[in-house]
Amino acid sequence: MKTDNQKAWFLVLPVLILVAFSAVIPLMTVVNYSVQDTFGSNQFFWAGLTWFDEMLHSERMWNALGRQIVFSGIILAIEVPLGIFVALNMPKKGFWASFCLVLMSLPLLIPWNVVGTIWQIFGRVDIGLLGYTLDALGIDYNYTQGFYAAWATVITMDVWHWTSLVALLAYAGLQSIPDAYYQAAKIDQASRWAVFRYIELPKMRGVLTIAILLRFMDSFKIYTEPFVLTGGGPGNATTFLSIDLVKMALGQFDLGPAAAFSLMYFLVIMVISYVFYIVMTNLDKEEGGK
Amino acid sequence: MSHTDDTRTSRSHTGLFAALVAPWAALGLFILWAGMQASGEESVIEWTASLNPGGWMAWVLPTALFFWAVAGLLVLFSILAIRDPETPRRGVLGIETTRGDRLFIALLASAFLNLAWLALALGPQWIALILCVVLAAAIFRFV
Repeated sequence: MKTDNQKAWFLVLPVLILVAFSAVIPLMTVVNYSVQDTFGSNQFFWAGLTWFDEMLHSERMWNALGRQIVFSGIILAIEVPLGIFVALNMPKKGFWASFCLVLMSLPLLIPWNVVGTIWQIFGRVDIGLLGYTLDALGIDYNYTQGFYAAWATVITMDVWHWTSLVALLAYAGLQSIPDAYYQAAKIDQASRWAVFRYIELPKMRGVLTIAILLRFMDSFKIYTEPFVLTGGGPGNATTFLSIDLVKMALGQFDLGPAAAFSLMYFLVIMVISYVFYIVMTNLDKEEGGK
Repeated sequence: MSHTDDTRTSRSHTGLFAALVAPWAALGLFILWAGMQASGEESVIEWTASLNPGGWMAWVLPTALFFWAVAGLLVLFSILAIRDPETPRRGVLGIETTRGDRLFIALLASAFLNLAWLALALGPQWIALILCVVLAAAIFRFV
């Protein structure tokens, strides 16, 4: 018979308290704010579903969501194939393998705001290497004023920062393929493409799924880098969801609409996280079943 | 399992169930009391007044009842899970789900259904709530 010792539950209490203060209480407060209006000094008045209605019909929110989806789509379309390409061409063993690994992980170690600052200076036409060079080549590049320049810079920055993650994950997937697979492919005179398509890609499926979901989630909630680089501008060109949210909540102090907005944002993230969780547990089961 | 073992297990669970249900019921009474206090009159519930004016977290009766209901669902499903443990099953989504998973999916789907209802301006929100119950029933049956 199983022993019933419910006292062990008390060991979970510290975690519960921590989560309550860092997640549950703020979330409940946001829910409370989302159905009320305030004029400051902590006085609240009932507003019902007004803010949800307003936000659902707000062009501003849909535009920010649109920009967010386009941004996540573009960086995934670049980072995933590029990451795989880099991983395929990295040395498999020896000094250069370690050297490449260290080099690849460097961008991952840099904090977001520093990445933003690096690119902000790098792209400046007067003192930045990138901006100055492009200007000298006669290309009209100014990320603070041009729509395309701002987007190109934000995307390049993200690709620079995070392709390494995809590459490192893909590399780990590649390293786990036994040599016997490649030998068998050689005997069958398989082409390079066939080796990639039928050996390497299936073996990388698990880590690539994780890479895609991680990058999607991270890019979907991106804030610091574009905020430091462009501040959401020029105009609203690079105002992604979280930047717009902070503008609304802290800049304009529209707590009600911002709360309704953030709850909807939260629901979307929740769905993505759940899909992530399902995929991860299914992968675990598949690995365990082998 | 012998008969005595069976009763012992159920008795030890009764205490646990009480420990889960009692705080939840007490919380419900407290919310009701706070709702009456907010109106300033005996036996009158003020639905939209602030439960703690100028206080922390800006509570109001509908949100308090919402979280109380969600807590109640968690208590109910915890009790069900202890009383009647189940093996996960595979439904129309092709993923393995337990009752708890289905509750999570049902709640999440209900949130989106309510938002869609509001966005498309299809009518009063209580109709969406009824649809949510239907949706939840479908999720518990087929997912």
